[in-house]
Amino acid sequence: MGLTGKISATLLLAVFLLSWAAPLLVPYDPDAIDLDSLRQPPSARHILGTDNKGRDILSRILYGGKISISISLLAAFVSMTIGFAIGLVSGYAGGRVDTALMALVDLILSFPAFLLAIGISIVLPTGIYTVLTAISSVGWASFARLIRGHVLSLKESAFVEAARALGCGNARIVIIHLLPQCVPLAFVMAGLKAGGYILTEAGLSFLGLGAQPPTATWGSMISASRVFINSAPWMVLFPGIMIALSAICFNLLGDAMKEKYDVTAREVS
Amino acid sequence: MLFILRRFVLLLPLLLGITFITFMLTRALPGDPVFNIVGERSSPEVIEKIRREIGADQGVLRQYGGYVALLSQGELGRSLFTNRNVADDIRVKFPNTLRLAVASMLIAAPLGVLLGFISARRKGRPADRMITLLSVSGISLPVFWSGLLLMLFFSLRLRLLPPSGTGGLPYLILPALTLSLPAIATLVRVTRVTVIDLLDTPFIRTARAKGVSEAAISLVHILKNALIPVITVIGLEFGSYLNGAVLTETIFGWDGIGRYAMEGIIKRDYPVIMGCLLIGTLVFVLMNLIVDIIYHYADPRVRLHGTDR
Repeated sequence: MGLTGKISATLLLAVFLLSWAAPLLVPYDPDAIDLDSLRQPPSARHILGTDNKGRDILSRILYGGKISISISLLAAFVSMTIGFAIGLVSGYAGGRVDTALMALVDLILSFPAFLLAIGISIVLPTGIYTVLTAISSVGWASFARLIRGHVLSLKESAFVEAARALGCGNARIVIIHLLPQCVPLAFVMAGLKAGGYILTEAGLSFLGLGAQPPTATWGSMISASRVFINSAPWMVLFPGIMIALSAICFNLLGDAMKEKYDVTAREVS
Repeated sequence: MLFILRRFVLLLPLLLGITFITFMLTRALPGDPVFNIVGERSSPEVIEKIRREIGADQGVLRQYGGYVALLSQGELGRSLFTNRNVADDIRVKFPNTLRLAVASMLIAAPLGVLLGFISARRKGRPADRMITLLSVSGISLPVFWSGLLLMLFFSLRLRLLPPSGTGGLPYLILPALTLSLPAIATLVRVTRVTVIDLLDTPFIRTARAKGVSEAAISLVHILKNALIPVITVIGLEFGSYLNGAVLTETIFGWDGIGRYAMEGIIKRDYPVIMGCLLIGTLVFVLMNLIVDIIYHYADPRVRLHGTDR
């Protein structure tokens, strides 16, 4: 993996670990209201400043990062797992099963993704798992289509024929022979998608459909502070930098993996 | 002609599927499904009529049938709060949204294609790396954040443009710019890959061997061929425009469907949200269809081999 890939992976890991270790690191309770230090610009006491309730922004960013990054990673994992299973079955079984499953995939993909995620979110009770459910129930479809396409081409190759000639059952062919071949492709896509999921999670939180106050997420921090954009721009600036940075790292990591595993751009995008 | 006809016929099951999903979502909402569809302040006769059509005591399929019948009359229900007709509201706000969408595409299309083209021609050089990094950033910036920063810089600090509102060109620039960033990034990526692939093809080598100038190769041979995937992406970006518009229109107080949806979300105004979801999806599906048709006519290869697309 190239240098950019390594840097991105390191940065992501750092953000991830820091956010999980936040309770040990930050001197302030992220939800503690301090009326003596409202909207203070970055200083030695509060490195990234405070918000309109006097809460330490660095603390909130780290605590919020735990939610934002975990949810995106989980969403990528859940989407990948569901999409993987459906794609394998659909591609290998072919026939009516394939037609039916791909009709469902096409149906989901015919919605603008973020709008559908909003539609699903408002049906569910608000909370962090709402966002996870909403993203995953839209996200699996692109994974399923990708894996299915790959299985379709693999199915015809000589090693599958050989396995069948040796008497391998369908289950064995799918699990032992086809599945491992699809793993790199799925991981590349998961890396690229996770960047998008960070943005979706942030967007849904911004709309108030994610974790509820006072719990901090990067999206909801921006949403709550946008009225102070002129008087206290740092309140908006720093959470956004974290969102953008994480999304950029995920995308660069995905690109790096794409090159490493020699996946052509068209297959994934 | 037959191709277009077939694509339109295929649209029907898709629309049924889409409405079935929105119907199931509406049913899953808390509260009375009839109120969630038409609003509780509709006149008693209307509510009675709709209750008969999608009565809660009927089977799911009968209810769905009633729902589709309502939709086909252009009925998206009434807002739970203002009691206004959602379809009417959307009709009023749609031109604003369309204006913003067109403006952002007018920024994104030339810039995206140009940058992608430069990036491909300078493959591996610093300019290419710069542009690639910029385009990765472009798809990674949350629009509500980049929008706020643009507003802070250009409106609140430099006081060049109005920070929010719906109106003429000055009001249009910042939201259109915000929305164009991810579109530019996507276009750069697609153009770059396409042009790099094209540079490897025999017909470009032949053109060079014939002594055609580089400028002519760029303009005539490459750009013309690169245009097809680029048009596809422009169409898809245009169609999925509402994805970003919900956030961007809200930030800039632009009176379009995106902000309308956002207000619905905040107030849990279900008919409004579902109406916007349906309209947004309809636009998306139609844009896909138009792209397919353009594709079909622009590229003879697709016409010969890909009629089943």
